[in-house]
Amino acid sequence: MTAPINSRSLMVLRLATSPIEEIGSTPEGTLTIFPVTGGSFEGERLRGKVLSGGGDWVTVRSNGMMTLDLRIALETDDGSLIHMTFTGIRDDANGYFRTVPRFETAAPRYAFLNRLLAVGTAEIRPEGPVHLIEEIL
Amino acid sequence: MNTRPLLTMKVKVARVLDVGAVPYGTRRIAPLDGGTFEGPRLRGTVLPGGSADWLLLRPDGVLELDLRATLQTDDGALISMKSFGLRHGPPAVIAALGRGETVDPSTYYFRTTPRFETAHPAYTFLNRLIAVAIGDRRAEGPIYTIHEVL
Repeated sequence: MTAPINSRSLMVLRLATSPIEEIGSTPEGTLTIFPVTGGSFEGERLRGKVLSGGGDWVTVRSNGMMTLDLRIALETDDGSLIHMTFTGIRDDANGYFRTVPRFETAAPRYAFLNRLLAVGTAEIRPEGPVHLIEEIL
Repeated sequence: MNTRPLLTMKVKVARVLDVGAVPYGTRRIAPLDGGTFEGPRLRGTVLPGGSADWLLLRPDGVLELDLRATLQTDDGALISMKSFGLRHGPPAVIAALGRGETVDPSTYYFRTTPRFETAHPAYTFLNRLIAVAIGDRRAEGPIYTIHEVL
């Protein structure tokens, strides 16, 4: 017996990044920081803009895959702040780019975000990374 | 979101250590006294040493789970698993779980996001995937139905 995993759309997140900062070879791999300068997010239950100031710490591992470690702040269109992080895998050899986002907020209207797990499917488009984020039901 | 079954893992929880009130909530540690896992591509046992779930009951009533387990496949490979999760639900359901009762897992939210690390060539696909699990808390320990996110 295997219960299926159900999910529903949470948001589409579009990130704008500034020129990368190449830290270089570290004990963990090759580290590059992608500063996040802005962006937008939109879903049925929340929408707004990505604030400047966060980033994605991307490490190329010895097996060729990238691991991501992002932290950003979101501001909803009604003025609430949401702290968002994700870790993820980008494995271009297999066309696999998935993330596991988490959210923290003090805004009662968005407290449901504190209580859910999510999975993101991402792709790099000419305008920047786009993440389709689904809530795990 | 597309997924496919990766494995089902049953673990036994030894005595739970009550650490108590810490700055972020109430901390308990649940050492795992072994277990088993089985899926289409791998099967084996959960090793008791170093496998435990670090539980944090947050002030908002959500239980954060931070599990680390070492899996040993039937052909001898070692796999390190780390999994962050959340558990919450209606107070009556959570109270029943606390009493060790078997509760329909669809009546509460118990989800985790396992990640795997291995050096064994037969299982390196695990290094390259994201997974999502549904948990079913039983008195003897949880059962996790783990799906690979495709």
